Parts: sequence; C-alpha cells; structure tokens
Amino acid sequence: MPLLRRFLQLDVFTERPGSGNPLAVVVDAQAIDDASMQAFANWTNLSETTFLLPPTQPGASYRVRIFTPRQELPFAGHPSVGSAHAALESGLAQAVNGMLVQECAAGLLPVRVTGEGPARRISVRAPQARHLPAAANPVLWNDVLGALALGKLPAALIDNGPRWWLVELADEAAVRDMNPALAAIARLTQATGAVGLAVFAHCSHAEHDLVVRAFCPADGIDEDPVTGSANAAIAAWLHLNQSLPAANYRASQGREIGRDGRVDVDVEAGGAVWIGGSTCTVVDGSLDW
Amino acid sequence: MSGKRRRFQQVDVFAPRAGAGNPLAVVVDAEGLDDSRMQAIATWTNLAETTFLFPPTAPGAHYRVRIFTTRTEIAFAGHPSLGSAHAALATGLAMPRDGLLVQQCQAGLLPVRVSPVAGGQRLAVRVPRSRIVRHSRVDDTALQQALAGCARGELAPALVEGGRRWWLAELADEDQVRSLRPDTDAIRSLAEQTDSLGLCVFARCSGRPYQLVVRAFPLGVGINEDPASGAANAAIAAFLDESSGLHGLGNAYVVSQGRELGRDAELFLQIDADSQVWVGGRCETVIAGSLDFG
Repeated sequence: MPLLRRFLQLDVFTERPGSGNPLAVVVDAQAIDDASMQAFANWTNLSETTFLLPPTQPGASYRVRIFTPRQELPFAGHPSVGSAHAALESGLAQAVNGMLVQECAAGLLPVRVTGEGPARRISVRAPQARHLPAAANPVLWNDVLGALALGKLPAALIDNGPRWWLVELADEAAVRDMNPALAAIARLTQATGAVGLAVFAHCSHAEHDLVVRAFCPADGIDEDPVTGSANAAIAAWLHLNQSLPAANYRASQGREIGRDGRVDVDVEAGGAVWIGGSTCTVVDGSLDW
Repeated sequence: MSGKRRRFQQVDVFAPRAGAGNPLAVVVDAEGLDDSRMQAIATWTNLAETTFLFPPTAPGAHYRVRIFTTRTEIAFAGHPSLGSAHAALATGLAMPRDGLLVQQCQAGLLPVRVSPVAGGQRLAVRVPRSRIVRHSRVDDTALQQALAGCARGELAPALVEGGRRWWLAELADEDQVRSLRPDTDAIRSLAEQTDSLGLCVFARCSGRPYQLVVRAFPLGVGINEDPASGAANAAIAAFLDESSGLHGLGNAYVVSQGRELGRDAELFLQIDADSQVWVGGRCETVIAGSLDFG
C-alpha cells in the first residue's frame, strides 16, 4: 500500500490566490530521506518546497527542512511563513500566546501569529543583517543602473543569510517602470557573491509604504514575485539609515510579473526585523511519492 | 478569500515510478474558469504545462482539455494529453470504450489508447504527424555551434514541423547524448532564427532496455531542458520514418530521457500500419486533492 502524506501548496504574502509566492509543503515528512526530499523539491519546480517534521529540540513547535530545486537552505522567509501556516492548518502545532517556535537548520526561530482564518497573519524574525563594505566595478554599476532615477541612499550590499544588493530609486514609478538589465545584474551579483539585486522606493499609497522588486538572474530567476529575505534586508538598511517609513510598514511586490504580494514588516527598536503576511491554501491533498 | 474547491491532480507522466517523469498539473473540474484565470493558475504552478478538463462539446469525445504553459495556451502537446487522460480516468471523469478514450483539444479529436501492463496501465496518444521542413546547411551557424564537438550520427539534422517546430539531430552514440553540455545561447538563437522550440538530440542504443536516448532543449519557450517530451519524441519517430531511419528500431521502440536532470523517463513510441505515430508511457498520480484559486 502506498503511504499517503498530507500535502499543501500555498500562496504566501497574499490574501488572493495567485498573487503571492507559491510554496509546496509536505506535512507528514517522517521517513523521507534527504535524496527523496531533494528529488521531490526538484519535481515540484517551485522556488522552495518544505518538509514538516516533529521537533527534536525542547521548546520547538515543529521542525522544517527547506529545499530549492537544487539544494537545502538553512532558512528562508516565504518558506518559513508558509510552513508555519501549514503547521497550524494541519493541526501539527498550536500557537502559544501568539507564538510558535520553528526549528530549522538555522536554529530555533520565533514565529508570531495574529488573527484567525482569512485574517491570520504570520511573521518570522529574519536573521540579523550586516552591511558589508563592498564595491563593484563602476562600469558594471553603470550597466546595471543605466538611466534609472536614483533615491537618497547609496547602493548597499546586505548579508542576512543570503546577500542582497539594494538600490533605492527615486519614486514608485521608477521601480514599477524599471526594465532590468538582467545580464549586467547577473554579472554584478556573481562578481560579489550576492543572490540578487533588489530595488525599492518610498511611496505614499493607502495600501503600502514601500514598493520593492527583486532580480536574481544569476540564479535562474529573472524576477522573484515576493521575497522575504530581500524585504528584511531593505528594512535593516532603512533602519540603519533612520529612513524607515514607520516601525511597522507594508511593502508591495510582484505586480510587474502579474502578482500582487504584500509583505508586512516590523522593525524593533533594537533593529530586529520581522517579515510576514497572509497565506492562502490553494492545493490541499495527499502526496504519494 | 475562498472560492470553489475543484479536484486537482499533479501527475507524473512517462514515469516508470513516481518522480521519474515530467510533472503535469490538472484541474479536473474546470467549468466556470475563464481564460485569464486558467492562465494565472498555469503561471502559478510553474510547471511546463497545466491542463483544465471540461465536459466534451464534440460528439464522440470523452472529455475536453485546454492546455496552458506558464505563458500561453497551446493547441496540443504530448505529455499534457497523457497526464490529462490519466487524471480523467483516475477521477472517474471518463471510461475507455474498447481500450480507447477520445480527447477533444484545440488540435481536434485525438485517440488515447489504454493498455493494461504489469502493475497498472500504459497510455498512448496519437500525435499529429510532423514532416521535415528542411535539412541543415553549413551556413546554419547557430545549429553548427550548438552541435560543435559532437560526433554526429547517420542522419543529417533537420528542422521538422508538426504544429510546432523542432530541430532534430542524431548523434553517434548514447555517450554523446548523455555527456552533451548544451550551448544554451546557441540553441536560443537557433530557436529564434527558425521560429522553432529548440533542439532535440538523440542516438541509437544497444544492449539497453531502451533503443533510443533523447534530450530536448526547448530554449525557444524559456526552458533549458525538458525531462520527458511527448511531441518531440513523436517528431523524432516521424523523422526516422520519413528518412528511412527506423532500421534496428522497428515500428515500436522505447526511449530513455531525463536522466541528466535527475529523472528517468521511459517513453514508448509506435508507428502504426497507417503510418500514424503514437507516444505513450506510464502515469502516476503524485498529488491528489483540491484546488481553491479564489
């Protein structure tokens, strides 16, 4: 008899299915070996697939392993938000005082849960960010930036697990209308060990305070629909420069590729960054692997 | 937001076991979804194709299928036809008559044969036959660059057309195919210059449980390598037949594809008495459940 496991495919950072970043979650992942996890994460063809397991450490609510189609990751933002949603939806874990503790390869990470049902929001604390002193060839930068209208802050390389190049642009239109120089971005990120380049701008919009786009062409992803780690890096950079729109703000990402993601960002006084949002359960079923 | 939950399957196609083939997402109860919603779902699944099943509108058809890539709707493709037929059978939407299902798609009514095999069943679809458009020339620079360093097989490379166009190139042996490191820039240029999907390479094999090894590089639709290609394999079969190149293979042979991507697909090709090409294989339901896309 085949062993059927609960499987969910979620849309993360959105209240509307199809507008966020998809995530595959195998809920009952006991006794799947590493090679099978990697093979399944390759087969789903999504940016990440996660596997939920019983916790092995005291205090943890559940354990998660996160795979891209090519490798396992110690931590990532949208897979953590989605995995927490899946753990709650499947009854694998219950929040205590609005908190879950996620055990992952990066350690024990706190997860904040507010609201219920469609109004539920889940936030994870992103790993601490460091501003790296880095410079790239000015000719290369010229190819990347072209005639873009730049904002106030200089370009920065931020490491919060992955490394992101961040570039502030003058306004929302400069971000939304940007035609990314993908070949130049690929060269820049490869030359500096960065996963990608994210652009952002402040905006005075009723629904969001920041607009973000993230490009990872060297990783085979021209543009990522909604990116937890890039949003966390931007928040840390804005905090460092005392340039946050507010301690709690909302970013819009993904419209240029047909999505409409919303990332809720919380920055504590000490600089710790929480990223979160809504998650939709799109596919609910069983897996026979 | 919560909408209607529709039955959903993610099927592995041309898969002797789950995970070895080419995945396909199938929305089983697709009535009421408009074109833009179907395209949004197909973009979201991020698979090469997503299909949507409807009640048939043509007499004699068992079901109607619409096939979407992440970018656009297409009239026909092999692996989506087999996976759709499998999902229609697995969900009880259709029952074969005399071992046949009739699939209605934009390319017309196509028969799907259902054959019992050990441990399950094999499905095969009749594929609109492709023809040679032209053979390669020395001044096809993108093709020559894509094949640089490869030991060629007996047949000259050719551009073929059967709905969509492919360049097909026979290489000298299995090792030449398996060890090929595709020049994606050259293949992308080739696809753009000749309005084709890209390049397929193949070689005859001996002493194996398969007779042909195939790799497909559809850079023209933004995919570096396809793990198992129904229509492309049917095009190779038609090309071999048209080129009198079926010696040693006969009218039915087995293809290995996808190992270089970590898969291990198995495709069954047949050229019937009417010179029609059938491509088939095993399908496995990997994910069964429901989909709520708002």
